[in-house]
Amino acid sequence: MKVLVVTRSGKELIKGGLELNDSATVADLQEAIHKRTRKYYPSRQRLTLPIQPGSKERPTVLHYQKSLNEYTKGSTGELTVVFKDLGPQVKYSTLFFFEYLGPLLLYPIFYYFPVYKYFGYKEERVIHPVQTYALYYWCFHYFKRIMETFFVHRFSHATSPISNVFRNCAYYWSFGAFIAYFVNHPLYTPVSDLQMKIGFGFGIVCQVANLYCHLLLRNLRSPSGNGGYQIPRGFLFNIVTCANYTTEIYQWLGFNFATQTVAGYIFMIVAASIMTNWALGKHRRLKKLFDGKEGRPKYPRRWVILPPFL
Amino acid sequence: MAGSLSGLRRLYLIFYNWIVFFGWFQVFYFGVKTLKESGYEYVYDAVEKPLIFAQTAAFLEILHSLAGLVRSPISATLPQISSRLYVTWGILWSFPEVRSHILVSSLVISWSITEIIRYSYFGIREAFGSAPSWLLWLRYSTFLLLYPIGITSEVGLIYNALPYMKESGKYSVRMPNKWNLSFDYYYAAFVCLAIYLPGFSHLYSYMLGQRKKALSEPKKHRTETD
Repeated sequence: MKVLVVTRSGKELIKGGLELNDSATVADLQEAIHKRTRKYYPSRQRLTLPIQPGSKERPTVLHYQKSLNEYTKGSTGELTVVFKDLGPQVKYSTLFFFEYLGPLLLYPIFYYFPVYKYFGYKEERVIHPVQTYALYYWCFHYFKRIMETFFVHRFSHATSPISNVFRNCAYYWSFGAFIAYFVNHPLYTPVSDLQMKIGFGFGIVCQVANLYCHLLLRNLRSPSGNGGYQIPRGFLFNIVTCANYTTEIYQWLGFNFATQTVAGYIFMIVAASIMTNWALGKHRRLKKLFDGKEGRPKYPRRWVILPPFL
Repeated sequence: MAGSLSGLRRLYLIFYNWIVFFGWFQVFYFGVKTLKESGYEYVYDAVEKPLIFAQTAAFLEILHSLAGLVRSPISATLPQISSRLYVTWGILWSFPEVRSHILVSSLVISWSITEIIRYSYFGIREAFGSAPSWLLWLRYSTFLLLYPIGITSEVGLIYNALPYMKESGKYSVRMPNKWNLSFDYYYAAFVCLAIYLPGFSHLYSYMLGQRKKALSEPKKHRTETD
């Protein structure tokens, strides 16, 4: 089978195309492109079928596990694919590790080291119990996230563009420092003992629930990371589509209730709005996919992310 | 139903554009008149009311963009209008010490010329379906000179207000407080100044793209360009 590989501008990426055997898969094609171009390793490639100029429809993306024959129109032994360079890629586990490592290391710096001297606070700092518990809570949270990254999560996509590392790290690291600055401040005003206990207690329950949600989601996917969409069931997933996000948001609510900083609430609102966006998208996809027609199960009526609001 | 909504939208935008145009025309008229008769030190006092009215009314443009009443993207509308509101309210209105600076005159004149052209262009386009080609050309060409003048004036006025911000402590919040928040308006101004350069280049390149698109399109499509 002959495969012509063209760029989006219509220029041939590999002069004269590639000769592959008839049973070749998309993965074989990607390997062949990599062999010829060196620079473009498989995860850096996005291959699509060509579309008519001026067409509004989205191009069909070639799935790496499928056979190339599935994409050939008719019986012609020739296929044209459009190549797009996705840029340098990193593994998702690497991306998550670095974005969570920042807050895990930055927060204790504000707690243990005399950083506030450089902000003009000369006198000795009195550390309140809530600040110590907040440190433990925070570090547990990000340590848990890193452990989940390596031992729990299964990713549907193997890699992410390297630019996301800088963007995500900027987001997590700056917010981490922002919150740490105020919670560990020498002039910090603690909440009542009862409020602290309620906040951290609720937060810990939500963190454990979040871990359990992640374990349930892990079991929906095969070890290779694919397996398509399935209806999440069990525990909080019986009432909320994205229970993992629900518990994530509510555990930050617990932390903020106990520490009471505007910085913490800003972070929670920003994170909640991002997760709500993702949750609405997932909820829509699941409802569309599981429509109850042609033998497909019907997606049950559930909250999207934030019971009792959304 | 859709037709009546479209008619209402059009009617609203005609009113909005012409009312704000009138506000900016007053700013320009009083600004130039005072500059000639009394000098730059008195320009702000002469234009304060119409300037605050016209510039604050521009906040609605953010809502127009979000609601889809106009096609201009929020990424272009938001930084421009928020920076202008910041200078109008957060600098000129808040710190009277900078009002007598010569940069107020260059700011007011560059803003008002830009906005007189812009609002009259949109007002005519909404009312009659298209705007004359000379106005279209002005709409997409005057910014080449007026944007840099306006931005330089804005940056200069923020810079001149810095010592007064530090001295007065206005709009700053200090710890300790119940919500464990501290905010320093003086340092926030430095952040704003740091945003100006990338913000200006983003806006300027966006406008250059719009200019190319608007002035190269055939006449029949011109009415659709924002």
